[in-house]
Amino acid sequence: MTAFGISISWTVLAPIVTLSIGGLLIMIVDLLSRRASRALLYGIGVLSCAAAFATLLPLFGQSITTLGGAFVSDKFSWTFDGILLLTLAMTFLLSSLRRAEDGGSPGSYAALLIFCTIGGIVMAGANNLIIIFLGIEQLSLALYVLAGTGFPREASQEAALKYVLLGSLASGFLIFGSALLYGSAGSVGLPALASAASNPTGLFVAGFALFLVGLAFKLALVPFHTWVPDVYEGSPLAVTGFMSVAVKVAAFSILARIVYQVLGHDSVALIPLWVLAILSMLVGNLGAIPQKNLKRLLGFSSIAQAGYIVVALAGVGHSGLSTMLFYLVAYAFTTLGAFAVMALLGDGDDSYAQLDAYRGLHLRRPWPAAAMALFFFSLAGIPATAGFYGKILLLQQAFSGGAWGLAMAVALVAGTLVSFYVYGKVVWDMYSSAEGEAAQPTGNSLAPWIAVAAGAVGTLVFGILPQAFYASQPFLSAGAK
Amino acid sequence: MLIDTVIFLPLVTALALLLIPRSSTAALKGTALVGAVATFALSLTFLTLDPNVAADQSVPWISGTWLASYHVRVDSLRLFFVILTTLVSAACIWAAFSYAQIERLRGYLFLILAFETTLLGLFTAADLLLFYIYWDLMLIPVFLLLTGYSGTQAARRAAWSYLIYNGAGGLVLLLGIVALVTQTHSFEVSGIQLTLTPQVEGWIFAAFALAFLIKTPVFPFHSWMPPTYTYAPSPVVALVSGVQSKAGLFGLLAFALPVFPRAAQVWAPALLVLAVASILYGAMTAIGERDTKTLVAFSSLSHLGLVWLALFAFDITSVSASILMVVSHGLIAAALFLLLGFIEQRVGTRDLGQFNGLSLRAPRLAVFMLIAAMAALGLPGLSGFAGEFLILIGSWQTQPLYTSLALISVVLACVYMLVLFQGTMHGPERLPKPVASLELRPREMWLVAPLLAAIIFLGVWPGWLNDRTPAALAWLRDGSSANVVAQIYLRASGITSARVNSHRHVSLRAARKISIGPSIEQARPLHGELR
Repeated sequence: MTAFGISISWTVLAPIVTLSIGGLLIMIVDLLSRRASRALLYGIGVLSCAAAFATLLPLFGQSITTLGGAFVSDKFSWTFDGILLLTLAMTFLLSSLRRAEDGGSPGSYAALLIFCTIGGIVMAGANNLIIIFLGIEQLSLALYVLAGTGFPREASQEAALKYVLLGSLASGFLIFGSALLYGSAGSVGLPALASAASNPTGLFVAGFALFLVGLAFKLALVPFHTWVPDVYEGSPLAVTGFMSVAVKVAAFSILARIVYQVLGHDSVALIPLWVLAILSMLVGNLGAIPQKNLKRLLGFSSIAQAGYIVVALAGVGHSGLSTMLFYLVAYAFTTLGAFAVMALLGDGDDSYAQLDAYRGLHLRRPWPAAAMALFFFSLAGIPATAGFYGKILLLQQAFSGGAWGLAMAVALVAGTLVSFYVYGKVVWDMYSSAEGEAAQPTGNSLAPWIAVAAGAVGTLVFGILPQAFYASQPFLSAGAK
Repeated sequence: MLIDTVIFLPLVTALALLLIPRSSTAALKGTALVGAVATFALSLTFLTLDPNVAADQSVPWISGTWLASYHVRVDSLRLFFVILTTLVSAACIWAAFSYAQIERLRGYLFLILAFETTLLGLFTAADLLLFYIYWDLMLIPVFLLLTGYSGTQAARRAAWSYLIYNGAGGLVLLLGIVALVTQTHSFEVSGIQLTLTPQVEGWIFAAFALAFLIKTPVFPFHSWMPPTYTYAPSPVVALVSGVQSKAGLFGLLAFALPVFPRAAQVWAPALLVLAVASILYGAMTAIGERDTKTLVAFSSLSHLGLVWLALFAFDITSVSASILMVVSHGLIAAALFLLLGFIEQRVGTRDLGQFNGLSLRAPRLAVFMLIAAMAALGLPGLSGFAGEFLILIGSWQTQPLYTSLALISVVLACVYMLVLFQGTMHGPERLPKPVASLELRPREMWLVAPLLAAIIFLGVWPGWLNDRTPAALAWLRDGSSANVVAQIYLRASGITSARVNSHRHVSLRAARKISIGPSIEQARPLHGELR
């Protein structure tokens, strides 16, 4: 159909519309019935995820542009959307244990999560600078609020405030960079930017540099990572889990589009990005060493993982993109699984955020301990986990990326070695100590168990049969050779 | 299918243990032992395979970016690594019964059995991806066994140095493998023709070699080894030193040397120096050691250095004898560490100065210890001699200087092994605290006896093993995959014929045959002359 002279393809926008309806429905239900149970509201959330995924299916393998070229649905965005929906669904599952004393009504919390995801989906399909900015802002604004939903705790308020202040600064960089890019290309569309990039002016370079800084902040690449530990620690558990996956996935979708559609993976303009990646791999892993809080530790870990994922972009387009997607899927399953274990053990609060709590865990809670060990092995890249196969793919990309690729391969290996110590220490705590307290009172909620199981199954299946991923993404393997 | 059964039977047994309640120790012990012994019995059926034909099983696994398959193989090389693993594992699992606290027995046995599966998987892997997966997975059970089940602070520190050192080696290996596969687009590398520039091939081989040097270990990459071998519980050390230390040597024999013949040649001088340094440093350090387990650890360093010398001498006799040496060292190290563990359990110390004269009240222990120590020392009639002798004869042909240096270690081995044996067994009885019973219990005797029997068997009849191995070393002669090494071999054969007059016609015949075309039978005459 056409509106305001612009053709609109509703099939392309269907996932966004479906999610929006779900979000609004949650708000209405919450408004009408003050006693609507959390299970009902989150149930609606999970269902709208499923519905959005159903509307995503017909788009598989297609390439449709809509809204006057501003928004696309292609192979690029499809998998990003899928990962975002998966993240949202798992976040609902592990939110089910949220404590009543956490601030905010469950309704607004669930609705914000959905709107945040919509921002991510907009980013994944954005084909011009304005839509990119819209997506980022929608994602970020919702997350600023979510970070503060633990507001009876001071740490949560602090997290929200820090996130807002630094996030706004990054948005400033991003919008200023966009403006300069627009000035150099004469258009906000990415295709026009691509032609400007082939013959870059000073204005273009300045604009891209500012844009990259803004994006690096969202990705938490070193040295734009300083907000991560505090925000991760202060935010409610489920929000931290969601944040560590969804923001990265969405921001990487933009980075990939810029690298492959605008610049080309061997562009000189990307050298700063490679440097940021190397720094992130090293600083992220080294910074995790002294951490006593698991959320902070996973925060540093996510910095390092973001560095790893950038390595995928050093390779040639097709295989580089498939590597990035594989690693993001692996990262999503693994990280959300780890947060689900934390939620499960702590019964929804942060009591299991301290590493001390994990001492001798295998005697008290053998299954969560085993699952946590599996997720840590995957983050460290131990074989038979998704993280391992992802790392092999990354190394292969690095080897095809020239001298900078080699430097990144070395940084990746060095960072991984440090991470052996980081994750090994937690596994050691869980398995070495014989001291065990009496079993904790456990919530008998099924939802977080489902999230843990989903994370573990994903981690193992994609680790042992990585072919399963390519089978679900035929276009990725077809041209990968 | 049989191969898979052997690989995964220990793991299945381990998982079965989880179904048994922690408290029913008898059932736990019984299940674990039955699983381990059954694995050993099944692995023996590989002996009936024709040594010239490899038993292969390959299932496509990954395609797209690159090809990988679940490809396992038992050939005349892997056969002996597998049987060594199953035999030593069975002994170690049996020995482990007396090492774990009752409430932790299940986890302990679980980890040892899982460790066995990773070892078996490694030694049967014919695909580099599979090889690497087991290579890295091995770290986990050993790390957990060191941290969780040994109790002492020193063991936990050893666990970290083990993990970081071997983890670093593994990552370097991963770099090498991925760099190789980026070129070949396949993890199936055996028999491929490389199109790498010599420089790239050299660096990839160096990555492989570094990982293997750390795992074996070889001087100066050994600093993780003494603490690990000393502080880990004896059954774990017996497995690590007896079997896991052979992973790097297996990697050389099965992958690195056949795939990178040129690069191996380039790096050989440096590796030979490290090997000889290892042989001498290990032996001399062992002499000064007072801790029994550390002493054996350094003797391991020395003995496995000899295997590196054998491999990089590129002589058919020494290379095929290296497999005999590997098996022999595995048996001897496992037996020694298990026996020293029993002694430590009784006496309460490992310090040679703290006790003497155990043989008076424990004659059977003394006999067992004597056989193991003499085998390590290289007494003819025991397997250690057969391996060392063939290696020295073989490597003398191509590397006379390094071989004569290595010969010194034979003398030094006598010193430190006699120090060990006399220090523990001879003299008047002196114990730090009164001990009721010193003698080996029947269980302990039965679990060490098969290892000693195998040591004697291989010592008396080394040809049983040595005659089967040439089939696995086709790369050493096969012109298509290892031109350079084949030439080296021909040269070596020439030297043999010139220097060893009595065997002249045999060697020349061998050399002539080889120049005509590769065949499994060619190496036989050379072995004939040695037996």
